[in-house]
Amino acid sequence: MISSQKQQLFISIISICLFGILVAGFASFFGSVSERVVSVFFISLIAVVGMGVYSGNSGILTFGHLAFMGIGAYASSLLTLPVRIKSTTLPALPDWLATTELGLLPAVVSAVLLTVIVAAIVGIAVNRLEGSAATIATLGMLIIAHGVTIGWRDVTRGAQSFFGVPRLTDVWVAALGCVLALIVARLYRDSNSGLKLRAGRDNAIAASAIGVKIKRERLISWILSAAIMALSGALLAHFLGAFSPKKFYFTDTFFLLSMLIVGGMTTVTGAVTGAVVITIVSEVLRRHEGGFTFLSIEVPTVFGMTQIGIALIILFAMFKKAEGLAGLKEWEERIFPIKRKITASEASKSATKNTKTASLSATNMTMQFGGLVAVDNVLITIKSGEILGLIGPNGSGKTTMLNMLSGVLSPTKGQILLGDKPIINANSAKFAQLGIARTFQNIRLFGSLTVWQNVNIAALSTNDGKDSDLRTKSAILRLGIADLIEQDAGTLSYGLQRKVEIARALACNPSLLYLDEPAAGMNPEETQALMTILSDIAREDSIGILLVDHDLKLINQLCDRIIVFNEGKLIAQGTPDEIRTNHSVREAYLGRNYKQD
Amino acid sequence: MKKILLSTVLAFAMVTTASAETLKIGLATAQSGGLAPYDVPVVTGLKIAVEELNAAGGIMGKINIELIEKDMRSDVAQTIIAVQELVDAEVSVIVLPCDADPSLAVTGIVDEAKIPAISTCASSPTLPLIGGDFVFANFPGDNVQATVSASWAYEQGYKSAFILYSPDTQYTTLPLYFADVIKALGGSVVGTETYSLGQPDFSSIATKIAAISPQPDIVMTSAYEPDFPSFLKALRAAGVTSQVIGSDGIDSPTTFSLGKVGENVVFTTAGHATKGSELEKFNALFKQKTGKDSDTVFNAVGYDLIKVIEAAVISAGGSTDSQAIRDAIAELENVQGATSLITYKGTTGMPVRQVSIIRVKDGERELVGQPAPVADLIPAPRMQ
Repeated sequence: MISSQKQQLFISIISICLFGILVAGFASFFGSVSERVVSVFFISLIAVVGMGVYSGNSGILTFGHLAFMGIGAYASSLLTLPVRIKSTTLPALPDWLATTELGLLPAVVSAVLLTVIVAAIVGIAVNRLEGSAATIATLGMLIIAHGVTIGWRDVTRGAQSFFGVPRLTDVWVAALGCVLALIVARLYRDSNSGLKLRAGRDNAIAASAIGVKIKRERLISWILSAAIMALSGALLAHFLGAFSPKKFYFTDTFFLLSMLIVGGMTTVTGAVTGAVVITIVSEVLRRHEGGFTFLSIEVPTVFGMTQIGIALIILFAMFKKAEGLAGLKEWEERIFPIKRKITASEASKSATKNTKTASLSATNMTMQFGGLVAVDNVLITIKSGEILGLIGPNGSGKTTMLNMLSGVLSPTKGQILLGDKPIINANSAKFAQLGIARTFQNIRLFGSLTVWQNVNIAALSTNDGKDSDLRTKSAILRLGIADLIEQDAGTLSYGLQRKVEIARALACNPSLLYLDEPAAGMNPEETQALMTILSDIAREDSIGILLVDHDLKLINQLCDRIIVFNEGKLIAQGTPDEIRTNHSVREAYLGRNYKQD
Repeated sequence: MKKILLSTVLAFAMVTTASAETLKIGLATAQSGGLAPYDVPVVTGLKIAVEELNAAGGIMGKINIELIEKDMRSDVAQTIIAVQELVDAEVSVIVLPCDADPSLAVTGIVDEAKIPAISTCASSPTLPLIGGDFVFANFPGDNVQATVSASWAYEQGYKSAFILYSPDTQYTTLPLYFADVIKALGGSVVGTETYSLGQPDFSSIATKIAAISPQPDIVMTSAYEPDFPSFLKALRAAGVTSQVIGSDGIDSPTTFSLGKVGENVVFTTAGHATKGSELEKFNALFKQKTGKDSDTVFNAVGYDLIKVIEAAVISAGGSTDSQAIRDAIAELENVQGATSLITYKGTTGMPVRQVSIIRVKDGERELVGQPAPVADLIPAPRMQ
């Protein structure tokens, strides 16, 4: 029985090692042909898993990672190339490089380090972009790297082949590199950074709202993946012994991406599956192609057969299994699911009671979208321990207000004070760090992650991750969802998803909590239970709650104070009783012609 | 007991040697991609020679040739894979593609396996020089071709040259040798431009050449398809009428089918079918075997390659041992090929062969001459 992440990772690492040893062992048993096929397989797999570290975890497809592979190949080869060959083929090399001749290990390590530096610089630029813009930027990076390689003749021999590299990569070296890459990728996937990045992939807005600095995590994965690509490139160079810039361009990008996409890019299992499938298919097709060449003269038609075959597999995978053959889970996550138990006694140890109670006041809050003034000059205060209801007809600016107060939108005008300190230039991650957590009107969970992970990421991303497990457990217990923790959040019912979202916000250890229609989609019993939970949270933990809902019964019963919005303006505030009898509120909800009986 | 065992082993060994009357030749050539226009005709000619030999009972009437073919797709990485597979198949000789670049990529492998490797038609003298003892070429070297064409040009009174080359491959830097020779003769180079392989547009280079005053007597390039036709069209369109000199890369049907633009282009190549020549005989054989006219000298060059191997096996006393064949090739002298006499002795692996100068006239090939180069003028091979 697996009861912790560590055990699951342990199984994974052991099996990765076994996989490497067995495959390499089989290959060397069957002789040099299979050794070479398997070496290429290992090297490709390193590259696939390298791309997966970035693309799989961040959700941004990359076309450019072969640039890093190229840097790794050229850099390591320049270091291992015998001085004798360098003097004839690269006469213009700087002296220190022309006289350097290193072994494989120091050369690979240096090449990886160099690539890391390059990746860090490029990554700062690329990571400013989101989604498909980032993908296109990686494509640009590939083209630039290719151009530089061809143009930098003194060092790279330009478009000509770079040859004479000592062929030091045998099947065992490739296996070792592959095992290393797979383990690093697997560990990264479930590291804090990997988890946070996957949260950002599933829902960027929500991840930011619980304090995840997505760009930072993305940069980490970018650099790590570049390092793995460089390893792959360096081993490839020392396997082939000669290569040209073409080796690190579109054809191989397509080949490696197909492995990633067919297998499934979010998991190490997927990378291995894709590499196995594509390697087998392309080896079979390639050999068939050779046979055809022998018998028939129609070579050009047969020439593209491997590519066409792979393209068909991609099409099939996209139609039948868009997430790749391995899906979104590692094999060990399916076969050895974690059975975690959370007991009340554990959570009671949750010593980190909220200590940073603070009230919030926002003045002059105005939000203008072009000509539309969504929120107009509103003043609002939330005290610690109180539940403040915010109501108003649809389109009255409630969610916009919430978005401004949580950093999702930056207001056109206005100032927000937390305690007596102004919050300036803060994004939603910063708000979360300051102790302001929220839920969303349209649920924003990390659908492919488990309930535990959803909540845990929030705890990890706030308070510097201190006592994160305890905070996770106590938030889960508080919402009564302890028996769901190993389920994927995306598979839960609407009402349960709402609860997970609240638990996630609570795990941030907030002093203020904004809930946007928390009871939507819940039945009356669930709503009742939720009300009890919320009022406990406010009273016991002295958390100020700002509650937006259309369920007036809920608002009336739960709130200490209610403010009412209409057409972007605050039209009334007071106790529930005062609001119930307020004339302008009735008018707003029921229209001007409404006459009191 | 020991004796019996020993004799059994000996007997077995003898049987295997006796039955090893097959010479395995591994082909790692371009049957697709950019080099295919050269390697495909070479392999066609090569197969004609093999067929002819095998029909006559093989080399020395007893050693049949078996071909093992791999397509290297004009790609460096594929060449490496193909050659490794050929080494695994225990071939005695490997045939490498027409370009020095992919061939250089596998020199380490053939050197380690101690198998002689002959490039189909690479003409860069650096290939066998850097490739080591086991790498040979099968074509007049770039430096020799450049010496022949530059000397011819100088004799014609063409003294100022514009050269266009591409640093992308060894072969396309041939004009740099041409520049050396024409300068050594007393001529001058009035301009130099570079291009990239597969460059889509040559009009800006053509305009630059058109602007040179006075116009250069010669425009020399070793560009080949598809670059050469586009360059030539752009050049003529820009109004440049200088003598265009090319090299063996344009010895293809395309050059003769360019119409007016192609007229009067002069290039060096490996042979010409003069009356009563070996090449004429080969062309007749080609027509008989394939039903088509041989439209490029590369067919004959493929035939030459097998003749070289045959001569080496014979001089090695019928051995199919790869080391023995290598040693024999290195000592070959005046092997009669379809294009010319071929000598390896005293070279670094770049054969001494006759160079023919061809002019395109009325869409047909016209022999300008087959002069022997002045040895002192031939520039030393160098990596570009």
